[in-house]
Amino acid sequence: MKIELKVNGVDRRLEVEPEERLLDILRERLHLTGTKEGCGEGECGACTVIMDGKTVNSCMVLAGQADGHAVTTIEGLGKRGSLHPVQKAFLEEGAVQCGFCTPGMVLSAKALLDRNPHPGKEEIAVAMSGNLCRCTGYDRILKAVERAAGEVEQ
Amino acid sequence: MNDVIGGTVGGRVLREDAWGKVLGQAAFPADVRREGQIYAVAVRSPHAHARIRGLRLDEARKAEGVVAVLTSADVPHNGHGVLYRDQPVLVADHVRMAGDPVVLVGAETPAQARAAAGRVEVDYEVLPGLFDPEEAMKEEAPALHPEIHGGSNIVYHLPVYKGDTAKGWAEAEVTVERDYQTQMLDHAFLQPEAVLAYVDERGHLVVEVATQYAHYDRGEIAHALGLKFNQVRVRTRSVGGAFGGREDISLQIMAALMAWHTQRPVKMENTREESFYSHSKRHPMRMHYKTGATRAGKLTVMEARIVGDAGAYASWSPNILRKAAIHATGPYEIPHVRVDAYAVLTNNPYTGAMRGFGAAQPVLAYESQMDLLARELGLSPWEVRLRNIYRAGSETATGQVLSGSVGMEECLKAVKSYLGEVSGR
Amino acid sequence: MYYIRPQTLAKALEAGEEPGMLYLAGGTDLILKLRRREVQARGLVDLQAVAELRQIRAGGDWLEIGAMVSFADLLNNDTAAQEARALWLACSSMGAPQIRNQATLGGNLANCSPAADSLPALLVLQAQVRLLSRSGEVLLPLAEVLGRTPLWQPGTLLAGFRLPLRAGVSGFAKLGRRQALAIARLSAAVALREENGRACGVRVAFGAAGKRAFLSLDLAEELNGLVLDRGFTELACRQAKKVISRALGERASAPYKKEAVAGVVREALRTMEFVTSGEHADVDRKGGRGNED
Ligand SMILES: Cc1cc2nc3c(=O)[nH]c(=O)nc-3n(C[C@H](O)[C@H](O)[C@H](O)COP(=O)(O)OP(=O)(O)OC[C@H]3O[C@@H](n4cnc5c(N)ncnc54)[C@H](O)[C@@H]3O)c2cc1C
Ligand code: FES
Ligand code: FES
Repeated sequence: MKIELKVNGVDRRLEVEPEERLLDILRERLHLTGTKEGCGEGECGACTVIMDGKTVNSCMVLAGQADGHAVTTIEGLGKRGSLHPVQKAFLEEGAVQCGFCTPGMVLSAKALLDRNPHPGKEEIAVAMSGNLCRCTGYDRILKAVERAAGEVEQ
Repeated sequence: MNDVIGGTVGGRVLREDAWGKVLGQAAFPADVRREGQIYAVAVRSPHAHARIRGLRLDEARKAEGVVAVLTSADVPHNGHGVLYRDQPVLVADHVRMAGDPVVLVGAETPAQARAAAGRVEVDYEVLPGLFDPEEAMKEEAPALHPEIHGGSNIVYHLPVYKGDTAKGWAEAEVTVERDYQTQMLDHAFLQPEAVLAYVDERGHLVVEVATQYAHYDRGEIAHALGLKFNQVRVRTRSVGGAFGGREDISLQIMAALMAWHTQRPVKMENTREESFYSHSKRHPMRMHYKTGATRAGKLTVMEARIVGDAGAYASWSPNILRKAAIHATGPYEIPHVRVDAYAVLTNNPYTGAMRGFGAAQPVLAYESQMDLLARELGLSPWEVRLRNIYRAGSETATGQVLSGSVGMEECLKAVKSYLGEVSGR
Repeated sequence: MYYIRPQTLAKALEAGEEPGMLYLAGGTDLILKLRRREVQARGLVDLQAVAELRQIRAGGDWLEIGAMVSFADLLNNDTAAQEARALWLACSSMGAPQIRNQATLGGNLANCSPAADSLPALLVLQAQVRLLSRSGEVLLPLAEVLGRTPLWQPGTLLAGFRLPLRAGVSGFAKLGRRQALAIARLSAAVALREENGRACGVRVAFGAAGKRAFLSLDLAEELNGLVLDRGFTELACRQAKKVISRALGERASAPYKKEAVAGVVREALRTMEFVTSGEHADVDRKGGRGNED
C-alpha cells in the first residue's frame, strides 16, 4: 500500500506492507534508527515518537494509521551546535547512561514542554511515566526535564 | 557548550558518548546494516528438558526467501562458556533448558526468516525436569552434563571454615536459625540482543555486537567455528544496558556461523521474549543460616549452607557462589565460621553474572539474622551491628586481616540519626 | 491483510460488515493480537477519520462520548471531568501517556479484558451503549451488553456511550503493581447521590475480579439510604470483601484480592469529591491506600 507522511518536516511517499509498524518504516525504510525497539509491546517507550503533537509508541502504530500524519523523531530535533534544550539538559545533567531509552525520553519531554512550558514536578513525572529506563534510576532524567523547562522559558 | 562544567579538578565532565545518544546517532547493533544482509532466527526449545529424536527441515528449506537452515551438524566445535564450554551453539540431542537454540534459519527478510522458522519441526522426547536444586544435588539425581561436569550436578562447592564451631556454639547464649530464599531475576536491559556478522574484504569474520566481553566473544566465536583468532574481529557497538547479562554468548556465534556459511552479512535481533530466553539470570539462592551470640551481643559463631541454582549451564556460577561464600558473614567479625556454598545444575534458565555477582543474595540472610538476634537480645538492630562490624585489624572468615580503610563504624554512626526509632520489633 | 480508512459512518459500517474485516481504533490491543496471531483479519477498517466517533458532547440530559474518543481526549474534557469523575479517574490511571494518546474508550469495551479500566466506571455512571449494524441503531445498557458473549455480532460498530448528566458523584480506584503502565489487579468504581446526608442511588462496580467488570447490586442495596459517615465507608469496605470473595471463589488470587478490595473501595470513596470534606474524609486519608494494598 502507498502512504504519505511528513517525517521531521519532510514529505515522504512510501510503498509499505499493511503489517508494517511506524517503527519499522522509520527504522527499516527511512533508516532513522534513533527510534528504538525495546519491547515491541507498548510497554517501554523506547520507540516513542511525536505524531501530530502527541507522543505515541511507534511499535503500536500501523503503517496505515500513520498515513497523512506528521511525525517527529529524535533525528528531527537538534544537531551538534544547535541542540534542543531537552537534549542539552540531558547532556548536562548526566541523564544519559546506555542511551537506549534516551531518544524516547527526549521526545516525551519535548512533547510535554511544547504543550506546557512550565510543568510542575508531578506533571513531569506523569509525562515521563511511559518511558522505562533500566540504567539511571530516573532521577537525573527528571532533573534534566526540569532544567530544560527552565531553558525553554528564556 | 563546554565539555567540562566547573574546574578541571572537581568539575563535571560531559560523557563523550552522550552526544551521540541525545542526538539519536549512537549505533546499537540493531542500527547498523550492510548491503545484502540476510536475517537469521533461532528456533528454540519450548521444553526445559528433552531429547531430540529428529528434525524435519524440508518445509523450512523450501520456504520463500530462505538462504540456509543450519543445525548442530554445521557447527565445527559445538560449545561455548565463560568457564566451561558446556553450552551448545545449537543443541544436537540434549535440551537442558527452555529456550535452548536448536535450529538456525537464515532468510532474505525478517518476516521470511520468522515464517520459515515456524515451519521447522523438532521431534522432542520430553524428559522429566530437575527444577529444584536441592533435588538436583542428590546423588541419585540424573546428571545433566555427564561429559563435562561428571556424575554430579554440583558444579562447585566452596567450604569456608574458620576457628572451631563447636567452641563457638559452647560460647553462644542466643541462637537464631532460619532459611532464606531469593528469587531469579532478569537484568532486563533495555536493548534486546542484536548482532551484525559479515565476512570482510580480507576474508575475516567481523561480528558487531553489544557485549561486555569482546575479547572473550572473539575466542568463543573462533573456537566454535574452527577459525584462528586473527580471522575473527569483534566490534563492540553501543551497549544498551548489560548489568552482567551480556557476559555470556547470546547470538554472536549463531550470527557468525550463518555469515560464514552463507558468506552474506547476517543480522539477528532478539525480540524481548527471545531476549529473556537467551541470556543468563541472577542466581536464586537458598540459604540456611544459624548464628550464635553472647548475651552481650557479640557474635561467636555462624554456620551457613548456601545453594545457588546454576540452571542449565555453568556460566559464572563457581565464581558467583565463591563470592557468596566469601561474603556470607556480611561485614561482621565472627570467630568461628562454617560456610558451605554450592552451585547446582538444574533445568532452569541458566544463571550467571548480575550486579553484585553473588554478593547480593546473602545480604538478605545475614542482615535478617542480625535483626533477629537484636530482637532476641533486646538490643537495637543498630547496636548489634555496631558491636560486631569489621574494624581495622578484624579478621574475615577467609582469614584476611583488614589492615586499613574499613569505614563501617563511621558509616553506621553517620546514618544513625536517619534511622529514627528503630527497635528490635 | 489490507487497510482502509472510511470517512463516514455509513462507509465504515459497510466495510466492517464484510466477512473477515475488523475495526481498528487505536490499535493498542489489536496490533499485538495480530502480531501474535491470536486474531486474523482479512482487512482492517480504521475508524480514525469518522469525525462523529471522536466527539464528546453534553446536550440536554446526556453526555455523549464517541467510541473513538481516546483516554487522553477524555482527560482533557472539562465536562467529563465533572460529570463523569469515575471515568475521568479511570482514564487517568490507565496505561501511560503514549497509550492514553492512542487507546480509545470504544476499543476498551470492544476488547473487553477483565481489567479494562473504563468499564467499572462506565457501569456506575449508568452508561448506555450505542451499537450500529445493518439492522439499524440500538441503545442498550452497558450492564446488559456485558452479560452477553460475544458482546455483539461481528460487523457491529460501537458508536459510543451515553451517560446521564447530573446523576450524582462518582469515584474510582485501582490497584496496580506500580503507578504507570500497570494493568489493574483490582479496580472499583462507586457512584451515588447525597440526600440529607444519606446515600441514594448507590452503584458499585468492580473490575479485574472475574471475567468481566460487573455491578454489585447486593452491595448497592446494602449501602442505599445509609448516612454518609465513617460507618458508611467501613461497611462498604467490609461488604466489598464478601462480594469479591463470592466473585472469585477458589481462584488463586482470591485470598489476596478479597483483602485488598477494602483498600480499593476506601480509596474509590475518597476520590468522590464531596466525601473529601469533613471528619469522615480525614479518617479515610489516614487509613488510606498503602495499608491494604
Ligand atoms: C502498554 C499497554 C498498557 C495498557 N494499559 C491498560 C490499562 O492500564 N488499562 C486498560 O484498560 N487497558 C490497557 N491497555 C489495553 C488497551 O490499551 C485498551 O484496552 C484500549 O482501550 C484499547 O483501545 P484501542 O483503541 O487501542 O482498541 P483497538 O486495539 O484498536 O481495538 C480493540 C478491539 O476492539 C475492536 N473495536 C475497536 N473499536 C471498535 C468499535 N468502535 N466498534 C467495534 N469494535 C471495535 C477492534 O476490532 C479490536 O478487536 C494497555 C495496552 C498496552 C499496549
Ligand atoms: S518498543 Fe514500543 S514501547 Fe517498547
Ligand atoms: S540509559 Fe540505559 S535504559 Fe536509560
